[in-house]
Parts: sequence; C-alpha cells; structure tokens
Amino acid sequence: MTAATAPAAPRPAPTGRSARRGAAAAALGSGRLLRLELRRNAMLWLLPVVFALFWYNGYREIMALPPMWNLRAMSLQNRLLFDLAVPVTAAAAWMGSREGRRGIADLVAGTARPRWSRQLAGWAATTAWAEAGCLACVAVVYLMTARQASWGGPPWWPAVVSAAGVPMLTAIGFAAGAWFPGRFVTPLATVVVFFGLAFGTQAASGDHSYWQISPLTAGAVDIGAAPGVATFYRYLPDLSIAQVMFTAGLTVAVLGALGISAARMRWLAVVITAVGLTAAGTAVALAGTGRFDPHGMIVIPALHNAASDQPVRYTPACSHTPIPVCVHPAFATFLPAMTAAVGPELTEFAGLPGAPARISQVTAVYRQVSGNGITVSGGGTSAAAFVVPDQVPGWLGTTGGEFAAQLDEGMGIQLASDMILGGDGQQSASGPGQAQLAVIAGSVRFPSSVESRDLAPLYGRLLPQPGIPADRAARRFAALSPAARHAWLAGHLGCGARCTGTGTTTARSRCR
Amino acid sequence: MNVEITDLTRRFGRNLAVAGVSLETGPGVFGLLGPNGAGKTTLLRMMATVIPPSSGRLRLLGRDPGAYGPRREVRRRLGYLPQNLGYYPGFTVAEFVEYFALLKEMPAAQVPAAVATAVERVDLGGRARTKLRTLSGGMLRRVGIAQAIVNEPELLLLDEPTAGLDPEQRVHFRALLRDLGQRATVVVSTHLVEDVGAACSQVALMDQGKIVFHGTPAELTARGTERGTGDAPLERGYTAVLAAARS
Repeated sequence: MTAATAPAAPRPAPTGRSARRGAAAAALGSGRLLRLELRRNAMLWLLPVVFALFWYNGYREIMALPPMWNLRAMSLQNRLLFDLAVPVTAAAAWMGSREGRRGIADLVAGTARPRWSRQLAGWAATTAWAEAGCLACVAVVYLMTARQASWGGPPWWPAVVSAAGVPMLTAIGFAAGAWFPGRFVTPLATVVVFFGLAFGTQAASGDHSYWQISPLTAGAVDIGAAPGVATFYRYLPDLSIAQVMFTAGLTVAVLGALGISAARMRWLAVVITAVGLTAAGTAVALAGTGRFDPHGMIVIPALHNAASDQPVRYTPACSHTPIPVCVHPAFATFLPAMTAAVGPELTEFAGLPGAPARISQVTAVYRQVSGNGITVSGGGTSAAAFVVPDQVPGWLGTTGGEFAAQLDEGMGIQLASDMILGGDGQQSASGPGQAQLAVIAGSVRFPSSVESRDLAPLYGRLLPQPGIPADRAARRFAALSPAARHAWLAGHLGCGARCTGTGTTTARSRCR
Repeated sequence: MNVEITDLTRRFGRNLAVAGVSLETGPGVFGLLGPNGAGKTTLLRMMATVIPPSSGRLRLLGRDPGAYGPRREVRRRLGYLPQNLGYYPGFTVAEFVEYFALLKEMPAAQVPAAVATAVERVDLGGRARTKLRTLSGGMLRRVGIAQAIVNEPELLLLDEPTAGLDPEQRVHFRALLRDLGQRATVVVSTHLVEDVGAACSQVALMDQGKIVFHGTPAELTARGTERGTGDAPLERGYTAVLAAARS
C-alpha cells in the first residue's frame, strides 16, 4: 500500500453551481452506475436460456402457424411473456436479493446515493437485458413473418403488450428479492409468477371477464388468434391498451413500494404506489366492461375508437378457375388449396344457368355465447359469398385434408345447393326433394377423410340420408364422368327452372 | 472537530450495546480498542450513519446526520470499511471500487482516475481487472480499504482493517493510515494493539458499551506498568485499563 501521492480528487463544490450542471453531473453518474450494472447483470447470462426456451416452446409453434400477421402476432403475445417469465423473474429476484445475500447492506447503507435510486439502477439494468431479449424474440418472429406473409403489416399491439409485461416481471422479481433476501426467494418468486400467469389465462370466462387483463390474452379468450380476426377489420387495441395500463401500473406500484422504506422519500413512494395501483385497478375494471365484437375482437367502450371499425381496404386475390374464387390477400396462400378442394365443383357448375360469376370470401361473423363459447357464421347465404373456415392448414394442427373437407362441407355444398335448389327465397316451402338432394350429393367431391358423422347435420336438409334410394342415386350420379354430369346439369338446369322432382330411384328427375 | 459524540447510546432490544459514549476528535488517526462485544462496531456503524443512535448527540464533519440533507453530505465525505466485507464476486476490483465511488456520488468525470488511484494505494493496481471471486481474503480486505478511500474521505471509519493482511501489508497499511490521517479523521477499530501503537495519535478503549480510557498510545502504555499483563507494553496498558474498569 502506498502512503504517498494522495490523489487530487477535487471535491464537488457543495453549492453555487447551476442546477442544470448539477443535474447533468447526476445523470452522468447514474449513467455510469447503470453501465456498471448492465455489465455485471445476471439477466445477461440468462439471455441464452430465454432464447432457448422461446425457441423450444414458442417460436416453433408460432412459425408452424400459417404466415398471417394476425395469427403470428397474437400467438406471440400468448406465448412470449410466458416463456420469459421464469428466467426474467429469476434474474430479477437474484439481483434484488444481491445486497442481502452478499452481506453488503451495511457497506451500501453508508453511501450517499439513496437506496431507492440504487435499487432502481439494478432493476433498470435487469429490465434492459430482459427487454432486449423480448424484443429480439419479437424481431425474429416479425422478420420471418414479413418474408412469408402475403399481405399486410405487423400488428404492433401484441408486441407492445409483451414488451410492457417485461418490466412488470422484473419489478415483481426484484422487489421480492429486495424484501426477502434469501437463497429461496428466487425459486419462490419464479414459481409464484409462473403459476400466476398461467392461472390468469385459465380463469377468464367470456367477454366481460376481468381476467382478460392478463397480458398473455390476445383477443377473445376462446378463439384468440384466428385467421378471420383482425383481417378484414383493424386490430382493435382496446384490450391491449388496458393490458399495457395494467402492467405499467403494477410495475410503477411495485417500484414505488420499494421506496416506502426510505424515510425521506416515503411520501413520494406512497404517491407513486397509489398511482400505480389506481392505474392497474382501473385497467382491470375496464377489462371487465369488454364486449365481443362481431369481427372477433374485444371492444372496451371507454377506450374504443370508432374509426377502428372501418373495414380495411384490400384488393382480393383470385384464382384462375372456371368460376374464379376470390379471397382476402391475407388468405392468398390458401388459394391453391381452396381451388384444389372445390375445383371439380367449380368446373362442373361453370357456365350453367345461375352459376355465380365469381365466388368471393366475406368476413366471418363471431358471436359470444355462454361462457367462453363463440359461434362463427358466414356473412352471406348465396354461393357467391363464402367464409373461409378458421381451421386453415397449420392452424392448431389442421391438415390440408381437413381444410379441404371443411371447404367441401361449406363452400362446395353451398355452391351445389344454390345451383340445384336456387338462391335465396327460391326453395320450396316443403324443403328439397330427394332427387335434388341426390344431385347435390352427387355433385360435391368430398375427400375420403370426411366421415359420415361430419355430414350428419346436413342429412335431409342438403344431403340424402345414407342408405336410402336417393343416396344410391347420388352415388350413381357421382360415378358419371364430369362431362356427363355437366351435360346432365346443363340439360336439366337449362330448362329455366331448378330440378324439383321427387323421384327416388334416379337423379334424372323430371323438370317442370 | 470532525467527530463530536455526546452521551450516545444504542439499544438492540434489551441489550445496551453503546451506553453513553462521549468523544471528540479532529484530523488524525484515532484508535478504538476493546474486547469482543465492547460496542466498537456498533459505535462505528452509528458514525457511518448505517444505524441511528437510540439517544444522545452525534455530529459528524460539523453536521447532524439525523437530518436527510446533512446525512447525505456526510456520506459523500465518508469512507467506511465494515468488519465483514460483503462483495459481489462477479465484479472486478476496479468495478467494485468504481461502484462505491458512484454510490458516494463522486463526480462521474473524476471517478476513473480516483478508482485507479485508490486501487494503486492498496497495491492492487496489477489486479484491477481481476474478478473478486478469485482474490484471497487479504486482497479482498485491501479492496475494501480501496472502496473506503476512493472518495478521499474527510472521515474514514475502518472496522478491523488489518484482519487477514500479512505482516508486510500491515506495515504498508499503517503507513497509509498515517498519510490519510494528515488530512482526514481516521477512526480505526481493532483488536491489534500494535496497529494502534504504530499508527494512532489518539486511542480510546471501550468496554461494555462505555469508553473506559481516552488518551494517547503513550498514556495507555503508561497504565500498564503496574498491573497489566501482556507481551508488549501497549498490551499491558490495555489489560490494565480493562482490569481497572471491571474491578
């Protein structure tokens, strides 16, 4: 140790400097402290764990979804914060308990910087790394989706909610560590936060549920990320705003509570805590006023902007089939699958009297029923308008075969029945005849994956009951060549009226 | 006077750790001696503004640390090395010292030079970038001293600073103490009477929460000529005063 050469470290002038210079010096000091905390922060070392967890648990499933912005972004909100919860809370609790665990409390207690300020520096560094990890995950998903999506741009609100949830996790973890500085606080805080988040997603019931405030909830609880949601209409930010308000409020409240023990700043800390709690409570109350929008999102009246209800303009993508099928460009990637599924019907009915000039996708109409139940219905009743099923290939494991079967059950039968029975108001009051049902059934090419039970609701209404003569007639009609069926349909539909015969042995019913 | 203590007490529940201590000292090295449990550490913690006194009057550097503003001013001018030095094992020597320089609210622009100087003064310049987890106990003690002196304190409180230092380092440290004592008030709590003899201009001996002796090392040595026991003259003075206080 050297006794000589005492350093010339001039002490700052206690008074007389301008307030601005003092503030700048304080900011510089805080900046250096933050830089030091950033360099030696546990969260930095846990970033690989964050990325591994997200890749394993979230990324693979998100990227398996169809490349639609709404699906990917909303699923990202469902998953990202959940994947971050364990490493981020653990790192924050570890950092928060650092002074107590390391027996350094006496040493830092005798320093000039207030404890609250010191703790906020540690929390901010932890949050900065965690936020960097969160945003990196968002960036990867969004960049990949940008390369794959056929239409539109990223909805930012799901990413904002996830990003706003990160400071909440770090604040809870850090405060737990600071208040209970023991070796067990890290696993305990982590478990509590993890199960708290999980419970929040399970407890919601219906569009008025307060639990929608969970930052993991994107859109309506039951459908969440569905292809038809936020496609024809804008992504409604109402619930997202409430969620950000909640997470920010909770963050502020917890950080404020950290400062309550400091005698000098107690009043300020109490005010900050109260403001945070008020914001969080208000957000929960707002979530409870939500109602399910027909377009599939949650509307919160107090936060709703009516301008968001305007449909989004788009140029449809159309197939080059005898009867063009036109879909929203976000669904363009499914167009080949659609035309493959209903192509035979399109070819068969093209050019026939009453055939639509084109078939256009229309928006689905969603409706909340009891509990979390939601019904999805089509926007029209004619073959010219159809709703693409939410179960598109890749969505929740839906296969191409299942998608084709749904199209045939919906769009194919709609087209055939419209051609055979006529459009709105043209069906007889007594319902379709057996011959008509036979022709409809013989015209639609159901894939082999369609089972009888899938079609049961249509028996007697649009399809003949299995085993009856009309069913056998349908099979015989289906066995004809496409050209023969087309000629038959042209001959019978060309007489100016729809086939309404009641024959039970043949599809060649009489025309009136 | 940099330290003015009048009838200071501190209770922990029913235990009276410091029982009416009065003390005044200015620049120089002040030794605080006493057996285990005498109240030295508690007195130092009060002087370091870590814990408030239960009663009595404490003025440090001409300020009342009971009020927030003056306490913050005192802390900016204070260096403190606790008996048990906690540390962050992932920090390097320089980072740890820099951390405390910033917590003491040193002007940020002066921090790098002050850190380098403090680390050099405890002979750890070559290990400035070494992680604390790799250092020996004696080196960690020197890191603790470096963080205490990084802000060129006007009041330096050292609790058992030489514990764990090898003889050569203790000699160096005493020289450092004498140097620091020329400009600041240095209060050293220790069991090692030879440290007091070598570096302190004033010494107080505590027992059972009270000051039982206050004077120079020479005066303490003189007390040991009659009934003290020990190998060194100062030790004999120490034991003699304690025996007298307890009789």
